[in-house]
Amino acid sequence: MPIYLYIDHRSAIHRLHPTVKVFALFVMFWSVYWVDHPLALLPLGILMVALAQTTGAWPNFYRLRWLFILLIFFTTLAWMVFYRRGPALINLPIIHLSRASLVFGFGRGLKLAELLATSVLFLSTTKVEEFTAGLQRMGVPYRVGFAITLAFRLAPLFIDSALTVVQAQSLRGYDFNRGGPIARARRYVPVVIPVFMGALRKANNMAMALEARGFGISAAPTSYIDFPMRARDRMAFAIVAGIGVLYFGIYYFGYGAIAVN
Amino acid sequence: MKARGHFQREDAITERNETLVVTAEAGSQSAATSGADAPVAALEEVAFAYAGSDHRALDGVTLELRRGETIGLMGASGAGKSTLAKCLNRIVPAFEDGDFRGRVTIGGRAIDGSQVCELAPRVGMVFQDFEAQLFSTNVAHEVAFAMEQAGMARAEIAARIGPALEAVGLKGFDDRDPTSLSGGEKQRLAIASVLAMRPDLIVLDEPTTDLDPEGRAEVFALIRRLRAEGRTLLVIEHEAEELRGCDRIVILRDGAVIAEGEPASVMGRLELLETSGVHPPDLNRLLGMLEIREHAESIDHAEAIIRAHFPDLPRVERSESEAVEIIAEVRASVRPETAAAPEPIAQLERVSFAYPFGPRVLDTADLTIAPGEFVAVIGQNGSGKTTLAKHLVGLLQPETGRVLIAGRDRAGLAPAATAREVGYVFQNPDHQIFAGTVEEEIAFGPRNLGLGADEIAQRVEEVLAAVNLGAMRGRDPFLLSKGERQRLAVASVLALRPRLLILDEPTTGLDYREQRKMMALVRALNRDGIAIMIITHTPWLVAEFARRAVLMRRGRVVFDGAVRELFARDDLLAGSSFRAPEATALGRRFGFVALSPEELAERIRGFA
Amino acid sequence: MHELRLMWRNTRMVVLCAISAALYAAVLVPFKVVPLIPGVTELRPANAIPIVCSFLFGPAAAWGSAIGNMIGDFFGGVGPGDIFGFVANLMYGYIPYKAWRIIADGQSPVMRTPGTIAKYVMVCLAASVLCADLVGWGDNLLAFRPFSILGNIIIFNNMISALVLSPLILYGVYPRVRAGRMLYTDVMPELRERPRAIRLAGLAMLLGGELGAWAVGNLVSTGYWIPAFLPAGFAISPYDKAIAVTVSPLILVALAGAWLM
Repeated sequence: MPIYLYIDHRSAIHRLHPTVKVFALFVMFWSVYWVDHPLALLPLGILMVALAQTTGAWPNFYRLRWLFILLIFFTTLAWMVFYRRGPALINLPIIHLSRASLVFGFGRGLKLAELLATSVLFLSTTKVEEFTAGLQRMGVPYRVGFAITLAFRLAPLFIDSALTVVQAQSLRGYDFNRGGPIARARRYVPVVIPVFMGALRKANNMAMALEARGFGISAAPTSYIDFPMRARDRMAFAIVAGIGVLYFGIYYFGYGAIAVN
Repeated sequence: MKARGHFQREDAITERNETLVVTAEAGSQSAATSGADAPVAALEEVAFAYAGSDHRALDGVTLELRRGETIGLMGASGAGKSTLAKCLNRIVPAFEDGDFRGRVTIGGRAIDGSQVCELAPRVGMVFQDFEAQLFSTNVAHEVAFAMEQAGMARAEIAARIGPALEAVGLKGFDDRDPTSLSGGEKQRLAIASVLAMRPDLIVLDEPTTDLDPEGRAEVFALIRRLRAEGRTLLVIEHEAEELRGCDRIVILRDGAVIAEGEPASVMGRLELLETSGVHPPDLNRLLGMLEIREHAESIDHAEAIIRAHFPDLPRVERSESEAVEIIAEVRASVRPETAAAPEPIAQLERVSFAYPFGPRVLDTADLTIAPGEFVAVIGQNGSGKTTLAKHLVGLLQPETGRVLIAGRDRAGLAPAATAREVGYVFQNPDHQIFAGTVEEEIAFGPRNLGLGADEIAQRVEEVLAAVNLGAMRGRDPFLLSKGERQRLAVASVLALRPRLLILDEPTTGLDYREQRKMMALVRALNRDGIAIMIITHTPWLVAEFARRAVLMRRGRVVFDGAVRELFARDDLLAGSSFRAPEATALGRRFGFVALSPEELAERIRGFA
Repeated sequence: MHELRLMWRNTRMVVLCAISAALYAAVLVPFKVVPLIPGVTELRPANAIPIVCSFLFGPAAAWGSAIGNMIGDFFGGVGPGDIFGFVANLMYGYIPYKAWRIIADGQSPVMRTPGTIAKYVMVCLAASVLCADLVGWGDNLLAFRPFSILGNIIIFNNMISALVLSPLILYGVYPRVRAGRMLYTDVMPELRERPRAIRLAGLAMLLGGELGAWAVGNLVSTGYWIPAFLPAGFAISPYDKAIAVTVSPLILVALAGAWLM
């Protein structure tokens, strides 16, 4: 089962400097923050679609399609409860269905979906080691970055072992689907315990192997992975920064908000 | 292939039936010529007890490792092999607490003030658990890891990665995720990351115990290459056969060195090996039975020795016609053994299967298992053995074809539905053990079947007796040894009283003594009437225990018949990674198909 | 809180951190069973893991919880609340062992006396509420969703796991880890604590701050109560500015309390 989102496509986006990608992630957060109206958010959505096309990330979007749909739907719904502004179109209990609440809620849903899309794009185009190298360049200490990498490496191992345990226990006549949700959650105890203990058996060996490989000689080890900042990285940086400025401008000059009446 | 000094090393990496062959003089001379240098590493009167234990894991060990020497270290589980290895880079006692005495020197200097990590550039260590020593999400980065820790410059690291990967045969794997590698490849990657540091000494602590035969062959071929390059190696291993090519063999028992010497002098001491929990090489056992006091380094060598003593033994060229004759003879002799049985327990009828987006793993496979049979399923990794077994228990559903259990179509039934017919013991016992005590663990299955308390109690008793864990009934399963946990896993499936028991590589990771125990249990169960289907890579186990063999290749059953016939069919064995046990291979040269050294000795004596 | 920094020097703790994180992610990914509000939250049996790990691995579990949640998000898509989610999960793994040391030092969390059970529930509640506060607050600050949605769902969610699942797992795992000398107190004997009086004061600040933040967050985000001193422009859905002014100080008190513990 493919567990990580990374897609080996080597597009121009894939080859961007990790710092630029992390910066782009933040600029997206920044940009959507300043505008509320779905129309103002639309250009960013189109940008996402274009990027998904270039990077070959569509399979990931397909995989998460329900998440996108439900995210937009439930966010819109939630704001129809809490955003009680504008004249109601229909009188309903709890829900305040007005043009304003609809537009506002949908805008929020779109915002969240665009942020999700940004991160899907980021993860589709960035390898774990690039991600941690990027974090380290941003000042995250070496050992924290290392723990993140190691966790990324171990998670699939533990998932595999959890799936095997599920099989082994079901062959001993164990039925995982009996009972209500809580009873069912409890039924995973015979899965969690073997996975847990298996992991712990590894812990000591792993720490030992780490020290045997010199973990601890130096507090700030050198890094083999080299990311030179190239001309196209600088250009991408400028474009991304421009988008951020543009969106702040939209807000500053009074566009992008939702008129209530 | 490289000559060191004036003596040649026959480093026959390309040959099939090879083990590293070194003449006896070469071993002793290499020791003599380097004797003048300071030893690469030395232990002087080293004793150690782990914290919280009175038992001395090491008890006064003195040992020298000379430059360019390869030492093979053997002994049963718990004899102190790993502890000894860990003294060489201060894991004992700097990382593992305990009471340490004695002195360890590396390159002539005592290491007692050092930290483990500081010794990494000088002593490289490769561990048994290959998953626990890979830390990166990318192969090149894995090799770079230790060099980064040592603070090497980027250019230097980059320059060393390529050669290190090339040395272990992983050239071009730079960008792969280690998760996607096979066990043998993972272990070779671990070795590459050690090689890149250019240490004075490389310690390999049971590097192949958890590997399949292909992986083992890969790693031992690599070890031979490293030896030929003149590196100093300490190899821990419990299959003596693999260590025949070392310069020196050291045997540990209860934390002390009880034998040390060239392979020729140690390998022939059968009783000493056996009582130390080491599987003596079959060839040596055979010679022992024939009362020939010589050491055989290879099958060729053994053949020559035996022919010298038994000149009347026939010479068999491996011609097609004779093989056919042998097969005919074998077939005639084994017919009664595989005689048609009553209603089969399990049947696969033209079953095909592929994982989503994956290649076909089973291809119109047919298989019938009758009550009381003992079947070994063999074949390379990825040949479909486990997939086949998972169909029998319903963990996978066939795409085409059907699976019958006790005559009933399995389709649509939950895995648990046939738990009383077919039981499946997973390869790793730790994938199912979770209960607080051995008894509770065994009772888990019967309880799931909804049996009454009396019935459950009775089954627990019965099964505890069968697997010989009665004395451990109240113990925490997690604190049992690997062999005991494996038997507990068998017990907990047995408690469901299946008529067919499937065991997926039940001896992986066990030492020879534990493997024997495990197989004795399986044989006893079979004698009690339970049909056994064992998935295995271990040739001697197939030869000695199974009556029927099923050979799989690329999802197809390519052979299904008597074990004896399989071992007579060179054509089949040549195309699989499975090779006959050495005694069987040797016997073929005399025109016999012998399944054990005992049987072969018997036949040879007939020509006295 | 200094051990959150100190632990990185200890190789075993670094490994235990990665293992906690990978375990959390490994149970998070295949067992995302019942989506309660899709895209918002689901009944996550995985939430039992940080509590269990906290009692076993202390500070390593705190970081493991934060990193594991991050990896889990990587499978299901990263959202903007994830910066707050990181801190929230750090606290979710930090509070249990820390509070336990103050009110039940030396006692085993798997003892089944009424006293220990009550303490266990309290400790889990303290951790869950702060976790929920941080996520709900962050989400509302960015005006993505009202505080009262995530601020309550997360408490519910975490407490279910903590009460239904964690004790069973702890029961199976804790004695074995202790016997294997892998508890954080064994692995990290260098751990030092502040004087008990200060830690008690910290606990009081934590509880006061987090409960206050929870109450105020709920009241303000639903519009039931807006403090009179706020300018009129703040008393308007989505109440992001009102939340910033009223809830932030209480969150700070809670975090300061956690720091003193």
